[in-house]
Amino acid sequence: MFIDIVKKVFRVTKAVTQKRQAVVDVRHHAVRPTANYRGQHTVDYELCIGCDSCNKICPVHAITMQHLPLKKQNIVPEVNLAVCIFCGLCEDVCPTTPDKAIKLSGGRFDMLTGGLHANQQDFWVHADIPQSYIDSRLEEEEAARVKKELAKTKREAIAAAKKAEEAAKKAEDNNDGAQK
Amino acid sequence: MEKLKELIGTFDVAYVENYKKVWIKAKLNKASDLLGVAQALKDEGLKSLVTVSPTDFPEENKFEMNYFFEDLLTRRNAWIKVDIPRELDRCEIDSLTPMFPGANWHEREAYSVFGVKFTGHPELEYFLISQDYYGKFPFRKGFDWKAHEANLIENMNTIFESFENEHVENEKRIGHAGSRTMLNWGPTHPASGPIRLKVEVDGEDIISVKPDIGYVWRALEHLVEEKDFIGALVALERICFMDNTNSMLCYAQAVEEIAGKEITPFAAMMRVVLGEIGRIVSHLMGMGGFFNNMGLMTLFMWALDVREYFLDVLEDYSGARIATASIEPGGVRYPLDVNLLDTLEKAIQKYEDTRTEFYTIFLKNPTMKMRAAKTGIITAEEVESFALCGIVARASGVKTDIRLDEPYAAYDKIDMDYMTAENGSAMNRFEVLFKEMDQSMSILKQAIADLRRGIESGEYDPQKDHMVKIPKKLPAGEAISRVEWSRGELMIHLVTQDTIPPEDQSAKRQPYHDGRAPA
Repeated sequence: MFIDIVKKVFRVTKAVTQKRQAVVDVRHHAVRPTANYRGQHTVDYELCIGCDSCNKICPVHAITMQHLPLKKQNIVPEVNLAVCIFCGLCEDVCPTTPDKAIKLSGGRFDMLTGGLHANQQDFWVHADIPQSYIDSRLEEEEAARVKKELAKTKREAIAAAKKAEEAAKKAEDNNDGAQK
Repeated sequence: MEKLKELIGTFDVAYVENYKKVWIKAKLNKASDLLGVAQALKDEGLKSLVTVSPTDFPEENKFEMNYFFEDLLTRRNAWIKVDIPRELDRCEIDSLTPMFPGANWHEREAYSVFGVKFTGHPELEYFLISQDYYGKFPFRKGFDWKAHEANLIENMNTIFESFENEHVENEKRIGHAGSRTMLNWGPTHPASGPIRLKVEVDGEDIISVKPDIGYVWRALEHLVEEKDFIGALVALERICFMDNTNSMLCYAQAVEEIAGKEITPFAAMMRVVLGEIGRIVSHLMGMGGFFNNMGLMTLFMWALDVREYFLDVLEDYSGARIATASIEPGGVRYPLDVNLLDTLEKAIQKYEDTRTEFYTIFLKNPTMKMRAAKTGIITAEEVESFALCGIVARASGVKTDIRLDEPYAAYDKIDMDYMTAENGSAMNRFEVLFKEMDQSMSILKQAIADLRRGIESGEYDPQKDHMVKIPKKLPAGEAISRVEWSRGELMIHLVTQDTIPPEDQSAKRQPYHDGRAPA
């Protein structure tokens, strides 16, 4: 009898104090973390080549392209998570290798559970591009442009010189012929 | 087959040819011959008309009607085509409903979305589409979807008003004296699925039941037309979430046939694995739902517990538990991590541990037998005439299973048999459901063994073999593809066409989908 009571007390204390296995706080831990888990997107603006493939393939039109004040690679995807169905086709179709510019496999699972969302913007994945990156890209483009122009002027100068030389040679030949 | 070919050849046909192993494809020159051909086919033994599907060719100003006849017993099928004019007042054809009762809903659907009039149809009313599409025939090319969707509020009001009118009419017709009344069962009833049953009752007696199955009509054919053939996958898998892998599999096969590509043996075996998991997941839900509707929730809970283990496999493979998007044209979407097979074996083990309890408590349940053994009996003749399929057909003793009749993926390597029962009652259907679960487990075990053997011997490369490239632009073509999914037979008729304005390079398609529901 006494032993029974002790057993019961022991069992109850164990049940109360021990952490129960079934309880996982899904706000902070994925119940089943898998490598292919399709969650919130990450957009790597440095890898993105602005090919617009993800926008074209998206079956629910959740992706819009953000325009940058650049000449080349001037679009970067933004994803509306309220529309997205997490099919992962955008990642499949992304041509950058080896890392994809838009990725949702292995993405965050807690996007809808982390507190209250008063703002619609919480359901958008923006590529937060710092001004410095745009400036550097602009500088690069400017440098490339200047380089190209220089090359062009140089090429033109060479071509002009060559032409002049040829003309001179021709004139010389003519002169020679005339003298003979 | 040759006899069938000769038989069709006696009519005025443009061509008659073999298509795949079990089909004869023929085109009639005159629409007036249709009744004669249908009668001849019926006498020959092709008693089931699976579906009726028009294809719209606005440039040639014609509808091409496709009729699919099947003989469920001897695996001889016929695909009959015939052209009819496209103008709304002239597109008429003889109805086959008096001859094949199964054609009823398919002809009504074709009438609702294409405006093809079937002369001699007993009740040619609008069907499946919502009230705001009545009389607009949305699947005709040239229907302006954007303009229609712009009037959202008006469309909603049309639907509400029609419900209101229906209610008022019922009130007038039935009156308030006596105990007769009209009940709407579903579509948001948890047990009804997306069906609305208009049940007329007198006290506790049911006088008539009229089903309305259009609650989840989302113009799938139009959705697929809008997207390219990869983007269409996510629309296709949503035909039914419970078993999403098989519907994608069916579509992928149709695309591959048009593109003329063969998938690798590894991908074919992976398709078997994914397809069977889809079937198991759906069957567990179905088994639970059967008892749930009888008021006993225990099996549902237990079945869902087992189901989780199989969903884990799907999640490990594709990253999603329900909407997996895991089968693409060209193979399967992801490479295989060999550890997945261990997870799968664990899931099978879980089922086998629980199986005895399922069997002894529920399958041998005396109360269930009392209630279900004489309920909803469908005879083998009814199965044939209504072209029923899947579990419903097999529970009535009809040996039909597309996995065996027309093996797809790697089912030709698998050792399996028809799972049938005898009387065709609700209890027999539950029995077949249970037998099929066991069968699926055995198929999975064979597939796992094959995959392990292939990977060890170097025959399969699980990292590379999963996919062959399918060109982005499909050639113009036409294909049908059939799979056995958990709900019976799924058939997709896919027509692709090159676009007429040459500046648009992408291939434009006219897809068509027809699912055969097991009643």
